Amino acid sequence: MDLRFSAQDEDFRRELRAWLDANLPAEMREPAFWAGKGSDESFELRREWEARKAAAGFAGIQWPTEYGGRGGTPTMKAIYDEEMARAAAPSTVNPLGLAFLAPTVMAIGTDAQKRDIIRPLLHCETIWCQGFSEPGAGSDLAAISMRAEPQGEEYLLNGQKIWTTNALHGDKIFTMARTGTPDGGKRHAGISMLLVDMHQLGVEARPLKQMTGASEFGEVFFTDATCPKTDVLGGEGNGWATAMLLLSFERGSSAIAQYTEFRRMWDEVVGVAARMDRDGRPAVEDPVLRQELAAALIELECLKYHSWHVLTQTSNGRDLGFEASMTKIMWSETFRRVSDVYEKVVGTAFAVPKPRPDLSLEELTTTAMWSRSCTIWGGSQQVQRTVVAERVLGLPR
Amino acid sequence: MQFQLTDEQRALQDAVRSYLRDRFGPAQVRELYENPGGDGVPAPLWKALGEQGWLAVLVPEEHDGVGLGLLDAAVLAREFGAGTVPGPWLGTVLVAEAVRLAGSPEQQAELLPGLAAGRTKGAVALLRPGSSPSPAAAPATASAGTLSGRLDLVEYPAVADVLVVAAGSDAGTGLYLVDPRGTGVTVTSVDSLDRTVRLGTVTLDGAPAGRLGHSGAATVQELLDRAAVLVANDLVGIARKALTDTVDYDRTRVQFGKPVGSFQAVQHALADLHIAITFAEHAATYAAHAADVDAPDRRLAASVAKAKAADAADAATSAMIQFHGGIGYTWEHHTHFSFKRCKRLQAAYGDAAQHREQIARLTVDAAAVAT
Repeated sequence: MDLRFSAQDEDFRRELRAWLDANLPAEMREPAFWAGKGSDESFELRREWEARKAAAGFAGIQWPTEYGGRGGTPTMKAIYDEEMARAAAPSTVNPLGLAFLAPTVMAIGTDAQKRDIIRPLLHCETIWCQGFSEPGAGSDLAAISMRAEPQGEEYLLNGQKIWTTNALHGDKIFTMARTGTPDGGKRHAGISMLLVDMHQLGVEARPLKQMTGASEFGEVFFTDATCPKTDVLGGEGNGWATAMLLLSFERGSSAIAQYTEFRRMWDEVVGVAARMDRDGRPAVEDPVLRQELAAALIELECLKYHSWHVLTQTSNGRDLGFEASMTKIMWSETFRRVSDVYEKVVGTAFAVPKPRPDLSLEELTTTAMWSRSCTIWGGSQQVQRTVVAERVLGLPR
Repeated sequence: MQFQLTDEQRALQDAVRSYLRDRFGPAQVRELYENPGGDGVPAPLWKALGEQGWLAVLVPEEHDGVGLGLLDAAVLAREFGAGTVPGPWLGTVLVAEAVRLAGSPEQQAELLPGLAAGRTKGAVALLRPGSSPSPAAAPATASAGTLSGRLDLVEYPAVADVLVVAAGSDAGTGLYLVDPRGTGVTVTSVDSLDRTVRLGTVTLDGAPAGRLGHSGAATVQELLDRAAVLVANDLVGIARKALTDTVDYDRTRVQFGKPVGSFQAVQHALADLHIAITFAEHAATYAAHAADVDAPDRRLAASVAKAKAADAADAATSAMIQFHGGIGYTWEHHTHFSFKRCKRLQAAYGDAAQHREQIARLTVDAAAVAT
């Protein structure tokens, strides 16, 4: 057991912290617990910020230098995530491209794909969307029905995607479509992953308004849209394997960033509890709420320890495999836990977004609602539990 | 950054695991259940604990100990929980810790070698049952070199050679050494629901007692925290074993023509348990390490570990009975061994609610003042 970081890692942390102090724009230092919200107004600012980070060498921390990355270790990536969260820097505007598409292209992309996709993505010149979910295929990804008909050197795309993050800002979309028929009842066969230009006639994105009032995601309609055959990732008909590879680039190491963010939210909730009345006393003195605040903190501390476990595994070169499903459940439920206790602390005041001018409750309220989505996206909590039961515990199907 | 056991700690884990697999299993636990009048200390097991250095783990080498840390002791506690191991291991280790932390050089030289070797069995009474773990809950009062008070639910008082008691006096709370077979001491055995332990009431009526060197309220708190961390690790062992056994059973038990473990209601419940237990394992591991390196958050970590482990083990042993079906409710099956041990330990040294309140004092109150 040794929880210290190496001198080299601490140097990196100091360098990054100093750079953030000097470069993070003041307007981005507002206490935002989840920087994804309200993205319509701030998207371009955040995109510029992302490009500035990349230009300064603070992007693609673990990517090989040949792709413009820093060639760093999992520990450096964890430090990076933690420092970004600590500084309340906005989260990336290109999460699906950076976390999933880029490593997949590095692993199985053609030379042309590597050349054309990775660098512009890193510098946020190209914003990527993920077109997996359909109205009839959410967590059940193999149920997709979007068609890609071969026509000469192209495919002709028809169908619809839904819950597409960044749909209105996206330049490109990596998406799953049926290029063949299911082979003898094998639902996973005959699917390809296509890299599609969203700036074309035949691709229409419409916003979906979330319960927070924002529209971070949307629907994408394909009507005789085209995609060159050279823009298949991983080979025609191999879409399922490509998707599984892509989804295996789990984000367990960022659990430390999630801890840092949720812990900041918890601290804020305690501050609110000190100012809210409950039975004529500060809510923070209420014995039941104290139990709930402590219970949430227990989960938070355990999430921090788990992030150390994940970091230990990854930096020792071990693959977490299906443990990533556990990590997803852990952080999303911990987030819900903190949000739930906030709702209980404010009580009736949750009915209005701005009950007291001295407390920034709007952000907390939005965050509490946003937490509702995290147990759905990226594979619902129920699907993840099945994965843990069957793949980690070894229970029969 | 390495948040994992060292190779040496894994070897220790393997050693105790293979000992328990080969020499002490459910059949031996059953003997304890069928013979509640016995002293509850299987002689071969106790001999092995002494010979293997598992009693000496925290005793400094200069006093014939192994000189390891609380995390090493936690490794043992976890395996003992998984194996529902009986005997005064915890009491003996805690007496040794009390002497190590606060004893005078003479007290250390006199007591530690015997405790390390297993020649001397220890018992402790640090707080009134039901109380939050704090020096304010000392169960005895000290006056003019004697102790008085009623010590309830003491583990293994009938076999103990030395008793460490927390007692209050005009000079503040401290730790005292009492001879359990000396004058002014009455030991009464009581039935224990969990028969992997023997419990008793010790009545002190002007019993001669020597104060442990420079012990004070801080030492009492330190010992209570260490006790909570070891018990948390025992609970984690209980919880993991309960889940593993349940998964094994539900993998093969067929109902409605399918293995029970293929039903989603069962799968999701067991997946949630696995996650809760994993969190508890991390917390119990970190709390022991935090004590070893004197981390600033070590008291918080102890409470996080005890609260999380208690809740996880409670859920896991309850689920163990439920997901074994009818067989899990029988005396013949071993589910109740773990269940009853869990029930005893989840309340020992502060239950989950008491530790959550402690966490609130350490964090919520500090943060609220700062706001």
